[in-house]
Amino acid sequence: MKKTNPSFLNGVPELLVLRLLARQEMYGYQIVEEIRTRTGEALAFGEGCIYPYLHYLEAEKQVSSRRQEVEGRNRNYYKLTARGRKRLDELTSEWNRVTTGVALLMEEQHA
Amino acid sequence: MPDFIEPLRRRLVELGCPMKQVRRLVREVADHREDLKQAALAEGLSETEAEARANTSLGDPVLLAEDLMASLRRSTWWGRHHVVAFGLLPLLAYPVLWALLFTLELALEFALGYSWDAKKLQVAVNNPVTFRHLSLALHFMDYAAIASVALLFGRLARRSAVKFKWTVIACAICSVYGLFTWVSFGMHSLSLGFTVSASLVPQWTRAAIPHLVAGAIYILQRRTIRRFREQVAG
Repeated sequence: MKKTNPSFLNGVPELLVLRLLARQEMYGYQIVEEIRTRTGEALAFGEGCIYPYLHYLEAEKQVSSRRQEVEGRNRNYYKLTARGRKRLDELTSEWNRVTTGVALLMEEQHA
Repeated sequence: MPDFIEPLRRRLVELGCPMKQVRRLVREVADHREDLKQAALAEGLSETEAEARANTSLGDPVLLAEDLMASLRRSTWWGRHHVVAFGLLPLLAYPVLWALLFTLELALEFALGYSWDAKKLQVAVNNPVTFRHLSLALHFMDYAAIASVALLFGRLARRSAVKFKWTVIACAICSVYGLFTWVSFGMHSLSLGFTVSASLVPQWTRAAIPHLVAGAIYILQRRTIRRFREQVAG
């Protein structure tokens, strides 16, 4: 039986955050800004609402955090863990599967 | 400029957010606000304008606190599935947890009181005075097991930031079980089980324990809010 994808939209914020953290360690404001700018403002987290989400990812051991002072500012920096990287791979392949399926359907409609 | 952080903190506490989470969320939102302000200053805005823009971007602190609580709820399995977690799971989990905790307490009592020596226990049981003490201890263990199960669900409800009514619901289910589950001690026997037999039910003391636990959790929450308000006022 084909795998269903009931949570593919629920997984989008997780995919975005893990994808950004795969590149470098980041803090909350930086993640919100990166998502906004790199998606051409198509997607945006509510200011401040990223934090419970990051705490959830931390509780799931997908990211780890540390308090660090950079240029006189203390912030919580988040980075991807090995479990987070594995989860990112899963979400990426799921996303590719869904977008390929949607693209096929759209092409059919245009043909 | 109206303060942004204190109303946020106050509302989070009022909504029953765990204090550890309150401290962390407030610290991170304060950092976030400072970042927004610095970005506005970098664009050439004045200090007052930059603060105003940071506050506008974050929105109403009361609404932000409510959003944060909703996000916090969604971030845990218990919060996302609160009907299952606190309305249905206690129905299935209570008998198992209660029996398990009671057995663990019994094992502890046997290990501490009689060093795993069945003969010593038999001597104690045959003595009416020590039997009475033993019987009281077993009743206490039964009550402690009931309280522990109720406390477990209460703590999970608090940690997953769901409304207090879910603690009450979980405790009410534990209370119903308290009415119909029983523990019986004889000179040489111990039995526990579930019954609707008129001779054994209702057991009001056992049924009252989960409600007392819910009441204690409520009082602790109110006290935390009151202390916080006093700290802010002071």
